[in-house]
Amino acid sequence: MFDSVFTAASYLADGMNLLFLLLGVVVGVVFGIIPGLGGATAIALLLPLTFGMQAEQATTLMGGVMGAVTIGGSITAILLNTPGTAPNAATCFDGYPLTRKGKAGVAIGAAVTASSVGGVIGALILIMLLPVAKSIILFFGPPAYFMLALLGLTALTAASSNLLRGLIGACLGLFIGFVGYDDLGGVTRYTGGIDYLWDGLSIVPVLIGLFAIAEMLKLYVDGGTIAKSGDMDSVGVSGTLEGIKSAFRHFKVILSGSAIGSVIGTVPGVGGTVASFLSYTFTLQTSKNKEEFGKGDVRGVIAPEASNNAKDGGALIPTLAFGIPGSAEMALFLGVLVLHGMDPGPMLLLEREFTIFVLILALLAATVASGIIVLLTARYLIKVTYIDTSILIPSVIVISLVGAYALHNSIGDVFAAAFFGVLGYLMHRFDYPRITLVIALVLGGLMERNYFQTSLMYRGDWSKAFGDTPFVILLGLVVVALLMPMISKALKRKTGQKA
Amino acid sequence: MKLTTKILSLLLLAFGLSLNAHAFPDEDVSIVIPYSPGGGFDRAVRAFAPQFGEHLGGEVNVLPRNVPGAGGRRGTTMVYRADPDGYTIGIINLPGFALPRILGEPAEYDLREMTWIGRIEAQAYVLLVSGSSDITSVEDLRQLDEITFTSTGYGSTVLAATQIVASALGLQKKNPIYLAGYSGTSDSLVALVRGDGNAAMAPISSAAKYVESGDLRALAVTGDSSPLEGVPTFAEAGYSELTPLDLQRALAGPPDMDPEVVKVLREAFDKTVKDPKFLDAAQKARMDVVPLDGDATAKSFKESFEFYEKFKADLRNPNAL
Repeated sequence: MFDSVFTAASYLADGMNLLFLLLGVVVGVVFGIIPGLGGATAIALLLPLTFGMQAEQATTLMGGVMGAVTIGGSITAILLNTPGTAPNAATCFDGYPLTRKGKAGVAIGAAVTASSVGGVIGALILIMLLPVAKSIILFFGPPAYFMLALLGLTALTAASSNLLRGLIGACLGLFIGFVGYDDLGGVTRYTGGIDYLWDGLSIVPVLIGLFAIAEMLKLYVDGGTIAKSGDMDSVGVSGTLEGIKSAFRHFKVILSGSAIGSVIGTVPGVGGTVASFLSYTFTLQTSKNKEEFGKGDVRGVIAPEASNNAKDGGALIPTLAFGIPGSAEMALFLGVLVLHGMDPGPMLLLEREFTIFVLILALLAATVASGIIVLLTARYLIKVTYIDTSILIPSVIVISLVGAYALHNSIGDVFAAAFFGVLGYLMHRFDYPRITLVIALVLGGLMERNYFQTSLMYRGDWSKAFGDTPFVILLGLVVVALLMPMISKALKRKTGQKA
Repeated sequence: MKLTTKILSLLLLAFGLSLNAHAFPDEDVSIVIPYSPGGGFDRAVRAFAPQFGEHLGGEVNVLPRNVPGAGGRRGTTMVYRADPDGYTIGIINLPGFALPRILGEPAEYDLREMTWIGRIEAQAYVLLVSGSSDITSVEDLRQLDEITFTSTGYGSTVLAATQIVASALGLQKKNPIYLAGYSGTSDSLVALVRGDGNAAMAPISSAAKYVESGDLRALAVTGDSSPLEGVPTFAEAGYSELTPLDLQRALAGPPDMDPEVVKVLREAFDKTVKDPKFLDAAQKARMDVVPLDGDATAKSFKESFEFYEKFKADLRNPNAL
């Protein structure tokens, strides 16, 4: 195996291949930065370019894109409260408050470092897991996915400063998740006869609305510039260095984020967005001094960014081993593989070991390369936050709406983004957390579907689920997650009485 | 200088247009793919389009255009409502897009009125069980007391095919469970390997690699002859009524197209499906090219529609609340 790693590395180091990798990285960063455009669009655009290439060159190019997009996307999340790609949504919660404090450099430095290290860890985990890829996929069935989603929802309790308001936000998120055609029940729900709603609300326009547009409305009301303190000339390099250091100071957060990303990445159809939210809430639940979360805690940037780059490694497992794409991006990548004569399936991992190692190393190199690109340009990018709102607001709104349109060339997405922009602003105005809405929206569909599938496969007898090992393990974690706040409160009271 | 060039080219353009006023095609033709990029329909069109353009005269491009949504209804409705000038055609999932009408669901298009240009692909279905199970024949499966089929959701071709097979094999009276809701055929096959259920139906191209690796076992295939060694057709297993069950990918345009335009499209179609360049691309994309010309496609569609109509009573949603 190590031989293959070395031959793959020397292949990548070849001039022409390095050029393809860099091309992928640059395209990936740019498409990541622009909201609405993401990895899927970039791959679709570059796909015709690969027609004349060897399979390894094509995977190098695409590996470059996939490794780079979420790093690009984190920039927009941090500077403008707009997730550049959906998996960057969780980065907004603490990244943007840091920017408002004039610490954008710190956030970017931390995000980029966490992403790069997370990407490397994810690639290493992938290399280690490849031999047992098949067993991993077969380990998780509907009962386990159901519990996984439930585990994610328990995090709501930790993520809401005011529990009741948090739960109201979550209910709203679950409700929005119900909209559309339910192919299990065979009914359309809450579509009101509107064609656009048949497929449900897609996550990207919702996020663009809730974060980007809502933020611009808020800025419009408040006035001023995004960064409240510091001035344009003093920010930059010093901040990013501090951010890099802080990422290494919280190395445990990077490790847990990468682990969560790799594992969740293997779940088809869930992918990076859920991974980054779970990683964020996990860090929130397990950290001491959580007061600063949501107000600009650098750990809140590190956790999701580490996981959304580590997830690429995990997401490749179902794509390569079974031809199950976990996301639109992976579906397109699957197309690239097939085009170059690589038929995903249990045999691919053995037959095309070399090509796959080239891909993994390309991913790894791309996260590091795009990190360096972003760090080098950070000081110029940060200046965006000192631009006067009269220029910034219209520009961001236009880019956001165009981005929403570009996703599926659908005008419905533009209206959805605008609607959720207003909703997001109102939620902010009346102090309802947006994070619980988004978590519930992302996890609700997964939970519902797997709940019904589990009921069906056990013929209504849920006691059989206790024969499913991952179900039992995850159930245990749910219980712990729900009891932990109570226990820690009780402990606090006890020590309080003693003192 | 620049202005003169512009005027000149405009004049040339006008001249060209007036010459070609009646010759189809004189602008780009788009093929609507009613799914997102990446799937089998997308792959088929992308392999087909370049050579189709060549055979349409080579002066215009044939552009694949993804219009996903509503399980293919959005894109198909778009083709149905398009100007019948030949510049907008689409790839059709047969019998998938006929299902809403058979099931009595609202659909804003009617495939029976569309203009068929030709069929590109046809695939047989295969009945599968886990490779580790003791079931080795259709009769073994029929002896089971509890049957759970893994499948995609209601309205999908795979679920309809599963229900038809269950009906023809007389399994309905055992109240089989249709474990629907997997997001794609590959997902539902992996679920079968995992043991979420104990049988499944799938188009042969999705299933072949699992059968080769031994994870799944094929019990019978639809169609007149079996492409899988040692696996009988349904007819050979004694269920000949299942022979016509298949999945087809065909090109069609809106209703009431100009016969001259249809003729041009069909001729180009017939040449394209024989073009070695296309066949090469198709092989790379793992397509099952089984072409039919326009008239034969129309006939095949009619038969397929009647076949599904026959099983209409079995096609209700098994998991309706």
